[in-house]
Amino acid sequence: MKRSLWTLFLPVLVVLAVGLYPLLTQQDVHRETSFTLLRAVALAASLNIILGFTGYVSFGHVVFYGLGGYVAFYLVAEKGWPFWSAVLMGGLAAALLAFLIGAGILRLRGAYFALVTIGVNEAMKAFIYNFQPFGGPVGLTMNFAVYKAYGGPRAVLWMTYHWLFVVTLIVVAVSYWIRVSKFGLGLLSIREDEDAAEVMGVRTSWFKTWAFTLSAFFPGLVGAIFFFRNASIEPHDAFPLHVSIESIVMVMLGGQGTVIGPILGSIGYQWMRVFLLTNRLLKNIQLAVAGGLLLLIVLFIPAGLVGWLRRRFPATRRFLL
Amino acid sequence: MKRLLWLSVILALGMGLLVGCKQATPAPTEAPQPQVEEKATEAPQEQPTEAPQAKEIVLTIGFTESKTGRLNVSSGRQAKGLRLWIKHINEAGGIKLSDGTVVKFQEASYDDESSKDRVQELYTKLITEDNADFLISPYSSGLTAAAAVIAEQYEKVMITTGAASDSIYKQGYMHVFQIYTPASRYLTGAIDMLKEADPNLKKVAFVYEQAKFSTAVVEAAKAYAEEQGYEVVLFEGYPSDTTDFGPFINKIVESGAEAVLGGGHFQDGSTFARQLYEKQAPVKAVVLLVAPPEPDFAELGEAAFGIIGPSQWEPQVQYTPDAAKELGIDWYGPSNEEFIKAYEAEYNEEPSYHSAGGYAAGIILEYAIKKADSVDPQKVKEALEATDVLTFFGRIKFDTTEEAHGLQIGHEMVYIQWQKDDQGNLVKQVVWPKEGATAELIYPLPR
Repeated sequence: MKRSLWTLFLPVLVVLAVGLYPLLTQQDVHRETSFTLLRAVALAASLNIILGFTGYVSFGHVVFYGLGGYVAFYLVAEKGWPFWSAVLMGGLAAALLAFLIGAGILRLRGAYFALVTIGVNEAMKAFIYNFQPFGGPVGLTMNFAVYKAYGGPRAVLWMTYHWLFVVTLIVVAVSYWIRVSKFGLGLLSIREDEDAAEVMGVRTSWFKTWAFTLSAFFPGLVGAIFFFRNASIEPHDAFPLHVSIESIVMVMLGGQGTVIGPILGSIGYQWMRVFLLTNRLLKNIQLAVAGGLLLLIVLFIPAGLVGWLRRRFPATRRFLL
Repeated sequence: MKRLLWLSVILALGMGLLVGCKQATPAPTEAPQPQVEEKATEAPQEQPTEAPQAKEIVLTIGFTESKTGRLNVSSGRQAKGLRLWIKHINEAGGIKLSDGTVVKFQEASYDDESSKDRVQELYTKLITEDNADFLISPYSSGLTAAAAVIAEQYEKVMITTGAASDSIYKQGYMHVFQIYTPASRYLTGAIDMLKEADPNLKKVAFVYEQAKFSTAVVEAAKAYAEEQGYEVVLFEGYPSDTTDFGPFINKIVESGAEAVLGGGHFQDGSTFARQLYEKQAPVKAVVLLVAPPEPDFAELGEAAFGIIGPSQWEPQVQYTPDAAKELGIDWYGPSNEEFIKAYEAEYNEEPSYHSAGGYAAGIILEYAIKKADSVDPQKVKEALEATDVLTFFGRIKFDTTEEAHGLQIGHEMVYIQWQKDDQGNLVKQVVWPKEGATAELIYPLPR
């Protein structure tokens, strides 16, 4: 079946709709809502590269988010680097870590890999707790003078929003490129049957390492942007395991291994969380309701929204990827 | 047919997004219905001189509360304290300004889930959609740091309570005012207390939880102890989930420390105290953070006896109008007994220092508005900067220098010690500062 260009346009359109909305209204409150949504989309879509395309469940993926955040925060707050270069270094540091450990831990499969990624996250947290340049357990706090150099807090909040918007668009584009490229085909074959892929000539370790590296680079950028606007960073906030788990849930909800799935999954999930959090009737039992809803979704549409649509309505396969 | 399907999917997506954006903009939680005739966001205009009309305005106090997550107990108590103040001030008829305006209050609040993820989003909503006039901080320093950026963006006054870290106030923020004694002075009073109890005591050990708050506290206390001529024979952190303090206790004994200071939070602090007792560590004094002031600490039984802990406020503390007179400053708000009685009647539980901090944040805002005789944020900010007042919570005075604007410099910690009453039951007694003490310090520990 010929693939329609809509397979690219649809994901981009969705991200554009979320991202442009605050730019059109110029409302701070819309900016904040969209920031949360875009952050979730970027994290889920980058996790999807290793989880959805390659079939490796990275439970401790938040380690890249935290490391990127720390490196960038340190460079901006302590070393006076310009924001853009610090963000880039945050992403590169995360990618480098993934590249170095990936070669080793990607030999493991299934639950063993998942467990090791949690271990990596905990080890990094313990390291930061004892690493004085990053403030140890106390963490780092941003001096207001840094914000003033960028035009004050209002300008910083908008600037970081623009950055996140661009990063999210790049993540989506990269996701699409991987999905339709030969590289992506290699990853999909690893997901389906790694041994068979190897026999067919796919350099699995090389493919996996690069997929892992790419999927770590973007969370590094997102962490750098998030903690810069948050004005402080500490180990407890930088490596929260629940963000990893939420990212996995968002990918699964939308449909792992698809380009648009993680985007819809994260927007749907975040929307549900905010709705429950602020709903007068449900706010006191919001976590229980969220858990129940997730259970129902996983029970009845285990392939996620996009997977279900593609199976139930084969015609959608032309434009849902 | 295919085209129809595809169009319907796009349409559905578009609708979903629109609804999402709309729904994601929630209404404030259970704000009492405003009894408003006019909502003021700026200073009321001058009234005509002949007959001042009684005009009522309702100000919105915006804050987030950690209803879920690890901070929910302390944060919940803080919010209860604040809500009680809102109730009291409204029942008392509000604040009456000289131009006849009556100022009343309502709340707008959300659950921040004890996480930084949404704090900035929620504070932006509070300011732009719920039109919060004044802000109260979330509980904990980390969440407050994130909220402070938003407060500063809109130049909204934010009174912080439950945020003891010094670093927030040393970053150049001009609209954030701290009620709590900062972390850097949490244990310094304990050093003074030990010095007075035993001038011969020389060797102290710091064993503390590796967390933001406790590390900041002991680093400042260590510097102060060394300044006072103490020898710090051990300075060691432990991970937050430590359950076996054996190795640390052995090190304490080996180092020959006469006093142990440190701890972190409730779980680790109470385990540490219990194991110090079980091993009969030969130390003369034990001062731990956070855990000892909690009423549940008494469940340790004998192990709790003699343990000292710093607290922002205790029910036994006696700050009085007379004390204010002696200091030459104003007294404001209810007495300690009145606050405790009202709190217990409202919530059927004993107030903790978090509850008192929440109430005190409201009292300080009320005092500043009264002093400013206006609800104009700039005038209230100036009034806060000039504040030096004694309340049931203690003395409140803010640093006004550019380096540490808003840092609390008036409030002092009190130190409690678990002692026994006539029937042999464990009771908390305030042992320092001397002017507020309800009992003599038991020193050295009877071990």
